[in-house]
Amino acid sequence: MKNLDFDADKVLAKEFLSNFTDVNGEPKYMNILQEVANYKIRAIQIDLEDLDNYKDKDEEFFRRITENTRRYIGIFASAVDELLPAPAEDIPDDIPILMTQRADNGNGIENADATNPLKKMPPEIKRYYEVYFKAISKGRAFTIREVKASYIGKLVRISGIVTRCSDVKPLMQVAVYTCEECGFEIYQEVTARVFMPLFECPTDRCKVNKTKGNLILQLRASKFLKFQEAKIQELAEHVPKGHIPRSMTVHLRGELTRKVAPGDVVELSGIFLPVPYTGFRALRAGLVADTYLEAMSVTHFKKKYEDYELGEEEEEQIARLAEDGDIYNKLARSLAPEIYGHEDIKKALLLLLVGAPHRKLKDGMKIRGDLHICLMGDPGVAKSQLLKHIINVAPRGVYTTGKGSSGVGLTAAVQKDPVTNEMVLEGGALVLADMGICAIDEFDKMDESDRTAIHEVMEQQTVSIAKAGITTSLNARTAILAAANPAWGRYDLRRTPAENINLPPALLSRFDLLWLILDRADMDSDLEMARHVVYVHQKRESPALGFTPLEPSVLRAYISAARRLSPYVPRELEEYIATAYSSIRQEEARSNTPHSYTTVRTLLSILRISAALARLRFSETVAQSDVDEALRLMQMSKFSLYADDRQKSGLDAISDIYSILRDEAARTNKMDLSYAHALNWISRKGYSEAQLKECLEEYAALNVWQIHPHTFDIRFIDA
Amino acid sequence: MGGPPYDCLSNPLGAVRFAFEKAMASGSHPSAFGGKDWGALDLFRHFLSEQSALSQVPILNPQTIRLVQPNTLVRYRGMIQDMLGNEFYVGAYKDGSSWRTNKFADVSQFPMCSSPDMCVWERRLLYCVPVPGQSSWTKSSYQPQLNQGMESSSQKKEKRRRLDVEDMDRITDDELETSPSAKKMREGDCFPSSEFRASVPEGNFPRTCTFLDVDKDSLPCLVKIYDSPESELKLNDIFEFIGVLTFDSESEAATNDYDEVSNSFSDDELVQLPPNKVPRLHCLIHRKLAVHDFLQSSPILEVNPHIVKEIREALLRHLTAVLGDDGIAAHFVLLHLLSRVHNRVDDVAVGKLSLNLIGLSKESVSVFGTRLSNVVESLLPFTHCLPLKLEDLNAASLAPKKDYQINRLRPGVLQIPEGSHLVIDETQLKAGSLDAVGVENARLLKNLTEFQKVEYDFQYYKLEMAADIQLLIFSDGKSNILPADIVIPFQPSSVGSYKEVATEALEAWRWYLATVRSLPHSIESDMQKVVEDDMVAARQADQSLGSQDFSRWLTMGRLMSSSFGETSLSMEHWQMVKELERLRRERLKLK
Repeated sequence: MKNLDFDADKVLAKEFLSNFTDVNGEPKYMNILQEVANYKIRAIQIDLEDLDNYKDKDEEFFRRITENTRRYIGIFASAVDELLPAPAEDIPDDIPILMTQRADNGNGIENADATNPLKKMPPEIKRYYEVYFKAISKGRAFTIREVKASYIGKLVRISGIVTRCSDVKPLMQVAVYTCEECGFEIYQEVTARVFMPLFECPTDRCKVNKTKGNLILQLRASKFLKFQEAKIQELAEHVPKGHIPRSMTVHLRGELTRKVAPGDVVELSGIFLPVPYTGFRALRAGLVADTYLEAMSVTHFKKKYEDYELGEEEEEQIARLAEDGDIYNKLARSLAPEIYGHEDIKKALLLLLVGAPHRKLKDGMKIRGDLHICLMGDPGVAKSQLLKHIINVAPRGVYTTGKGSSGVGLTAAVQKDPVTNEMVLEGGALVLADMGICAIDEFDKMDESDRTAIHEVMEQQTVSIAKAGITTSLNARTAILAAANPAWGRYDLRRTPAENINLPPALLSRFDLLWLILDRADMDSDLEMARHVVYVHQKRESPALGFTPLEPSVLRAYISAARRLSPYVPRELEEYIATAYSSIRQEEARSNTPHSYTTVRTLLSILRISAALARLRFSETVAQSDVDEALRLMQMSKFSLYADDRQKSGLDAISDIYSILRDEAARTNKMDLSYAHALNWISRKGYSEAQLKECLEEYAALNVWQIHPHTFDIRFIDA
Repeated sequence: MGGPPYDCLSNPLGAVRFAFEKAMASGSHPSAFGGKDWGALDLFRHFLSEQSALSQVPILNPQTIRLVQPNTLVRYRGMIQDMLGNEFYVGAYKDGSSWRTNKFADVSQFPMCSSPDMCVWERRLLYCVPVPGQSSWTKSSYQPQLNQGMESSSQKKEKRRRLDVEDMDRITDDELETSPSAKKMREGDCFPSSEFRASVPEGNFPRTCTFLDVDKDSLPCLVKIYDSPESELKLNDIFEFIGVLTFDSESEAATNDYDEVSNSFSDDELVQLPPNKVPRLHCLIHRKLAVHDFLQSSPILEVNPHIVKEIREALLRHLTAVLGDDGIAAHFVLLHLLSRVHNRVDDVAVGKLSLNLIGLSKESVSVFGTRLSNVVESLLPFTHCLPLKLEDLNAASLAPKKDYQINRLRPGVLQIPEGSHLVIDETQLKAGSLDAVGVENARLLKNLTEFQKVEYDFQYYKLEMAADIQLLIFSDGKSNILPADIVIPFQPSSVGSYKEVATEALEAWRWYLATVRSLPHSIESDMQKVVEDDMVAARQADQSLGSQDFSRWLTMGRLMSSSFGETSLSMEHWQMVKELERLRRERLKLK
């Protein structure tokens, strides 16, 4: 090591503390010091980011701090000692009198015997504040595994989950003794967790007189620190395959105690230090050293979308993605890329992740923004896999089955605490998934009690409890993704859909979208499947997807960015949505076997899906294309249920498209129909562009209409 | 390189130091190593490259542990059960003017005072246990060579052990009364086996007799790993570690010095794993073991189709006899014994073939089930048997669970190495209700059969570990807890006894199973076409067939051709698979 000049560094520290100004031009640290002087706060956290941004930044100084952090805490603390301003307010009465008293009478005697280090009052005893460094939050935090021997003594930033916490205990920082003989106060600084008390008075007076004065430990005068020990463990996603998560001991002192509890996911910055061994273990200490992390700052990980902090890289990536016109399809395909096909379902699931903004009306009524989706289908069509994948992507998701795995079930339960015998309220899966997504597999096999409660959850988004003297209502603002099997295990094509679906209409109407995934057999898909299986066995990997799916982390970032917007419906679209809704109602009234209950809920669903689509485009307003896509999705979801009916009705796709277009022309009383408009209408009914083109050609050949050669606009020939 | 001045076998540390001094002499600085090797490993690799040298290294097991000297070279075979993280140690320090090293040692050879010239290096700690479910025939292969004087010493040990137990009782009682922390610690340790108990101080026994409390059947070992990438050693892998056995007489006493002042979390491995029960091994060289390494005398045979076919026929005949002349079941059992997870694609474990023999009642299981389990035990190196009872299901911990009180992974029944065979007897199950634990266990078993994965419980999250376990299930009806790939009604026609098998035949079969299992496999493109067409046709005929069935057929095709020692699917074998499937389906329909 080069000769270190700690005094010079102290000057640097002082300069930094007094001269640093934050973005608002406020002297950040001097303000903090004033607060400290006023006994308002006790912790002085020096953000190394500030030091990094400091105008007179000294690279070497900065490096020295991160590599010898423990030492520099002392240096900064003594710098603070000298800078501390006088209290600006009246000091509250409860500030230890001893402190001031000692400061008064200490001065006189102390100077007389300043040569003896044990007699000199250590600066720690006078300090009632603590200095911490906060590591720069740029880049990724270390995993515990990555902290190697070379990091000893340095400031590191680690992420992990807290597994154990000790009680908060007092830890002696400065032991104070008084001598029976000479009456002097003797100070002993304690740096380790164990210390050897003094027994003989070391003052000159006792030494000269050879009285060997008895020392008495003054607990009241000594200085104690709050101390807590915790264990953190690697997060599941950081553990390499086939390994066990590592753990690390963390020491929390002073103001940092009681900040963590077992189960918390935290990011800590701290100094990686070896444990000073004591007692017998010191014998082998030369060879083996335990290590711990002296915590400097504690940050809790936020798992909610709202608190998702985007890094610069991520923001760039999102901006790039947002420019991509095909982002909707791309994102949808990246959901569960290993599951083949099901594009519309994936689109719906993507919208479920994005959701619509919650609305709260003036009179206190809440309109939910979460989309609920139910997947229904034959066993073995990858429903559960879809569910699990969605939970993986969502930052907060709970996967459960309708049967529930514990007594708490889906909603909430009142239970007796085995220790205190008190009644405690325990939230079930739906409550735990508040502000997230709750995936419920085997929805149809749900307990009766949960089924009634789920009605409330799905519309009011609360769980009400009135049991054992506890009446309360818990928030359950969650989007529900349910998967259910048909009533007889397999979908029975001979029965009506209503018979197959084993859920009451009141529950069904609460789902915004309902998909039926059938395991239909046809030659092509069978061959596809056979090929896939053979490929997997042959090549030992999945066939190439034909595109690179986005990473779940990117998806999550994009969705969280999208969720910050709350798009509104512009006035000019209101009419459009209203007509669309009324035409669905009309259609339903006309058919003799209504399949679905189109209610106001349907209208709300349309609005929700459109808003979610607008969010995906990063738009503040809902566009007509969003509404059309929403209508198309709803239509597709209906078709997945009633596809057979359509075929039975005798109309083939082409003639159906023709009748749709003719009706539309008749409704508007015009002979012209723009291609874009036509496409809009037919896609809403669940037809593709190719089918439209086919229809246009076929009927043009029959001279029913003329097609504009370039724009493909339609003009009916009036017969 | 001339002969080393130190004996690698009896003074390995000397050899390490020799290499270190040589490296120092050539002008390197210890801090430049960063804990990396300086040529000591080459010395040992060179030494062990001779066949005879390896066999000279004694294997550490409950029998030999009393005879080997500390600080000598030993071998240990075991499964990595837990990873205790890393340990920092002073790797090199300056003693006067010369550098010394502490690598591969627990205590310093020379007195050291704290000096600024110290290099702190790190090593990884692995807790290894003997491979669970190891069949007895594999063990006989390493009978200790130095077993003279065993008798007398073990007798003495018995006596001493008894004394120890008394000692322990007295002391723990005292502790319970006086020190609350000791009590806490006792509550914390709830391992069933005695090896995790807090240790007892022992007198100054001669150094060779230090591992007194070693369990007769199992000897765990704490292996310290130095120079190898982390990815090389994975949980549940079976390894042979060659390294320095150390014993630190001072730390033995330290175990009792459980520090009450600091009330730290008692996860220190000294407290958890007292060195007199768990030897320490400083690993120099390690290698992953395959089934072949456990075969007694591997008849080094070429994979000759003719020989393979002969062995196959013999084995099949034997299996048929064991299964009461049920030839179809015997075929399936053979395929099942050859299966292993070749690869994972997404969630699918390709190559697994679990087998469910149905139609077995409690009575017939006691005949055929036991017979079959015995045969499996005699053929495969790692086998387990799990009778599924309601009480057990509700009480047992199948999955390993992290115990934060002691910071250790508590082993579960399902923590077994790759390639293990597990027999689950469902006929014992009675109707009744499962509690939360039971439901969880049932789910674990289902996951294992479907995806070949076991969830390890880390309390705050679960970690999925890939497994490769052959599952054989006995049940009356089709098992729903364990949805096996193949369900076949078992139809024995005779209960006649079967011949005892000669050892040579057994050895040949073991070799056959181990070898044929790892054969490569491919499907030619014209065969691929046939397979695809067959599948489509089958699905047209029967809608209920899914991708799982197709996958199973292909697996069976692979196993069938492998069982003949061939590496690509032929028409003949594909037809055999289809025929087997047809017969199986017929039986299922009759049921």
